[in-house]
Amino acid sequence: MPTGKPIAGAERPRIGLTGVKPNPLRPAPPSPARIPTSPWKYLVRVARAQTARVALGFLSLSVSGSAWVLLPWVISRVIDEVVIAGTTEPLLPWTILLVVTAIASSWIFTLGYRFLFMAESHSRVRTVHELTDHLNTAGTGVSGAVSPGEMVNLSTEDAHKTGSFIFQLGFGWMGVVMLVVGTAVLWGTHPALGVTAAAGTFVIGFLVGPLLSRLQRHQIAYRSSVATLTSQAADVVGGLRVLRGIGGEDRFSERYRRASTDLREAGYTVAASDSWIQGLRTSLPLALIAGTTWVGARLALAGTITVGELSAAFGMTALLAQHAGGLIGLAQAFIAARVSSRRLTAFFKTASEIDASGTEREPGGELRDTDTGLAIEPGRLTVIVSAENEPAAAALERLARHRDSGALWGGTPMSEVDLEVLRERILLLREDYLFAQSLGATLRVDPEAALRAIEVACAGDVHSSLGSSLDGEITNGGRNLSGGQRQRLRLARAVAADAETLLAIEPTSAVDAHTESLVAERVAAERAGRTTAVATTSPLWLARADRVAWMVDGKIRATGTHAELSTEREYRSLTSRQEPR
Amino acid sequence: MSDQSTADSRLPIADRATMMRAVGRLVLDDRPRFVAVIGLYIAAAGAGAALPVMLGEVIDGIGTGWTTTRVDLVCGAIAGCVVLQLVLMRAGRRLGYRLGERAAARLRESFIDRVLRLPLGTVERAGTGDLATRTAGDVSAVAELLRKTGPEVAVAAIEVAVIAVAAFVVDLKLGLLFLIGSPVLYFAGRRYIRLASPVFLSERAAMSEIAETLTASAAGAGTVASYRMQDERRRAGFGRAATHLGRLKGIVRLQSWFLPATDLAFLTPAVVVTVVGGLWSMNGGVSVGEVVAVAMLALRLDGPVFRSMMSLSEFQMGGAALARVEGVHLLPDDERDAAPRGAEVRLEQVTFGYGDGPDVLHELSLHPRPGERLVVVGPSGAGKSTIARLIAGIDRPRSGSVTLGGVPVADIALEELRRRVILVTQEHYVFTATLRDNLNLAAPEATETELVAALEAVDARWAVDLPAGLDTMVGEEHRSLSLAEAQQLALARVILADPDVVILDEATAGIDPGSAGGVEASLAAALHGRTVIAIAHQLQAAEAADRIAVVEDGRIVEEGSQRELLEADGVYADLWEAWKGVAA
Repeated sequence: MPTGKPIAGAERPRIGLTGVKPNPLRPAPPSPARIPTSPWKYLVRVARAQTARVALGFLSLSVSGSAWVLLPWVISRVIDEVVIAGTTEPLLPWTILLVVTAIASSWIFTLGYRFLFMAESHSRVRTVHELTDHLNTAGTGVSGAVSPGEMVNLSTEDAHKTGSFIFQLGFGWMGVVMLVVGTAVLWGTHPALGVTAAAGTFVIGFLVGPLLSRLQRHQIAYRSSVATLTSQAADVVGGLRVLRGIGGEDRFSERYRRASTDLREAGYTVAASDSWIQGLRTSLPLALIAGTTWVGARLALAGTITVGELSAAFGMTALLAQHAGGLIGLAQAFIAARVSSRRLTAFFKTASEIDASGTEREPGGELRDTDTGLAIEPGRLTVIVSAENEPAAAALERLARHRDSGALWGGTPMSEVDLEVLRERILLLREDYLFAQSLGATLRVDPEAALRAIEVACAGDVHSSLGSSLDGEITNGGRNLSGGQRQRLRLARAVAADAETLLAIEPTSAVDAHTESLVAERVAAERAGRTTAVATTSPLWLARADRVAWMVDGKIRATGTHAELSTEREYRSLTSRQEPR
Repeated sequence: MSDQSTADSRLPIADRATMMRAVGRLVLDDRPRFVAVIGLYIAAAGAGAALPVMLGEVIDGIGTGWTTTRVDLVCGAIAGCVVLQLVLMRAGRRLGYRLGERAAARLRESFIDRVLRLPLGTVERAGTGDLATRTAGDVSAVAELLRKTGPEVAVAAIEVAVIAVAAFVVDLKLGLLFLIGSPVLYFAGRRYIRLASPVFLSERAAMSEIAETLTASAAGAGTVASYRMQDERRRAGFGRAATHLGRLKGIVRLQSWFLPATDLAFLTPAVVVTVVGGLWSMNGGVSVGEVVAVAMLALRLDGPVFRSMMSLSEFQMGGAALARVEGVHLLPDDERDAAPRGAEVRLEQVTFGYGDGPDVLHELSLHPRPGERLVVVGPSGAGKSTIARLIAGIDRPRSGSVTLGGVPVADIALEELRRRVILVTQEHYVFTATLRDNLNLAAPEATETELVAALEAVDARWAVDLPAGLDTMVGEEHRSLSLAEAQQLALARVILADPDVVILDEATAGIDPGSAGGVEASLAAALHGRTVIAIAHQLQAAEAADRIAVVEDGRIVEEGSQRELLEADGVYADLWEAWKGVAA
């Protein structure tokens, strides 16, 4: 148990004693309207924020793409003007141009790659920022709307895809520039070559690409088989203690094998179509090269073009065809970005179910839940006894306004109370989340108050298991603590917050009787004069209660002291267990 | 409830040699097909490389006065090469994909089989986190490696090699010039592979941290609202995003020198072959066509080099995943073959601690009598759950002995052990399967009547009333069960398994206070005649006990019937007073 030794240098006032102040650190929450609700608009917005980088990236890739496609042309000049002509005189200028083109194409390409990569990276960061802010604004509104798995996807895959379409767009653009420059040069050599190259690249890029993408629909069936298999494996691992402790391994092994075989068969189907895609991806460019070569060879044989020009046609077509792949990628990236953007905007549409428009800043008096008839008197410890946990918990959630209802605060409807004031003054304690932060940061008060709260909640073992330091780190969800430790730490945090009203749902269900008795005693003493309500059937809390509200079938049946209510047989059987049944 | 054990016991990761052996094994199992795939890849790359070579022929042919027919013939041959390339590549890809798919299936099946045979202690210690990550993420990452990334890199590497060979076939001297870029490619590639792995891994890690932080913010949305933690969560989220941006910059820094280096690897030979080769051809050393052919071959390197660079990070991530998947096979088996005689449980002078930690139990002795209901009570952290784990044979004592029927529990063959002892904790699991499959794990041939009887014994009327009865699919995405329902299911399983000794470690903690008493009473009736060891932190469980043991700080401080303990006026009586006092 901590000794409560005061630690110097921490004189921050305890939260809750200073009244409501606007928080200067927190900027006004962004209004939901700021984030576009249409997937396309969101993509445009993401891209627009990176205008400078995108523009520079496009410019660089235009220059490097042009240099690229001109490289075979420079080579052909060397062939024609030096080798065929048999004179070394123009060799030097052409060689210099060749080297300059090569270096420029490579160096400027890298530059453009960097710009676009950083544009993508910054937009990913921006999406993460927006997700973070939205989680803050929408609050519990997102809890039911998004699973943990989806949250992972939104913040990684979807953030990536909405950013990477900028990157892909850049390469698509480079393909277009190369097509235009290449076609122009080939057209200049001979119109037939220009037409062949342009038409071929166009067919590959714009027609065959999307067609190939269609072939990938087998992938969808495959992905769903993967999902089935993964969830079966997760089932095995999740229930491994049960399987190893009781049996059934063979059955689960068999079930997994069946799903694995199904996936393999689905994989074979994918193999049949995917291999065509992979094959065509390399063969189509080759086919275009073969076509241009044939046309060029006929022209060269007739003497219409030189052999150098024939080789330039070959080389340029090869590069064009290869970068037509960029256009195929572009189409796919676009579709993926749109899907991701749709998921993101759907998430951004979720809103807090709590209406925050209330303005009453000084409510006071009794808390009354109109649904159950539960009333919490100020300044006293009320225990709510109910055979079912759920209705009592729901009533407290309504009183703390974690759900909207007709609940009243001293006659004022909760919805008319300023939400910030309400959160400051009424605190709900339930299975709250523990974030990855130090013990001290978790408790949110100065060290002295923190150690005191730890003592009140009998959470000394949490403190000692973290190295007896308030700097000890807790992991997300409090996974490095046991269930009982988590519960007492949550209680310590709620006690430390020292709210005017504390509404606690089953705060000691995972605590032994001895400790529970201490906790009840200390919390009652610590919160003397303040309003506290606890939903529990434990006699240890009932012993400390000023008032007991007994709830049956979701309605308050009777209110009184524990002794008064104990005259009822049904109440007694619920709260005291020493009598033989 | 003790979680002390999960911290320091990660599962092993395979080293390089083990991994290479694993890959070798996967390949050897399918050797003929593997050879065929490689052969097809080489042939397809050859057909592709033939194009520039034949272009050279055409150029030289035009110079030496070929007829139109002859040019058409060679151009027709080029077209033929394209078709051939398509056929070969398609066949190779198809076979390669199937090969990878088969290997992935073998790998994951043996992984799951291994997981299903993990020693009890390992399962408990490793927690499910690490194992779950390996099962979900790593197994599919390896499958992706075997099916897609592996072949991708193989195709690219073979293409580079075949193009180089083609350059030598065209002309020996030009081939040597062609190689001028390869040292750059080799050293840059080696350096990149060495540097890239940690950079990409750290980027991945930063991304996972973003996901973890945002998932936490979403999971704790209510808490954030309650405690007005918006600023903190904003700082956390933005901080993770900033770290990730830093790691992404690391990637682009790395690629900023590697990209130009790979470009140089084929631009240099293209320039050198053109200029030097061009001069040679003026001296008649080589033909113009040969120079053009080799220069064009050099330009063709662009594709495979860029493609392999792009798949490199995935390739390495696949490798890291493989190391983790294979790591599970490195765990030692535990040899258990003892057979108990009888069903008597005895703990004699047991001292135990987790890992290298301090002793949790100190020379503790406990003798539950066969057929009695023994309730173990005491404060949190007293060592109650540790006693449960020792009796269930999950852990071995440091000194002293825990025996069942005269033999150490941790030595009893698992099949035998679970016919004798079953531990039910408050951690319960519902399999995504039918209710029947969830129930009859230990008794596959249990009849409908027996299953229903077991459910009724734990007051699980809801289960019997389900529209599809026992064939109802349960689990998250079907009919999801409440905490209380899941616990009833776990208890019904035990009744069906019908062991001699049942250990209930807070097994009814999640059931509503109004109905918990009923469940416990019915359960007690169903388990009549078995030794029941119930661990409880609340006293309600103690009332039906034949005997109560009070544990504090890893020692039994009091033991006896409720009446005896109350008369002794010790620790237990104090606790009891706390209950009783309030009802007075």
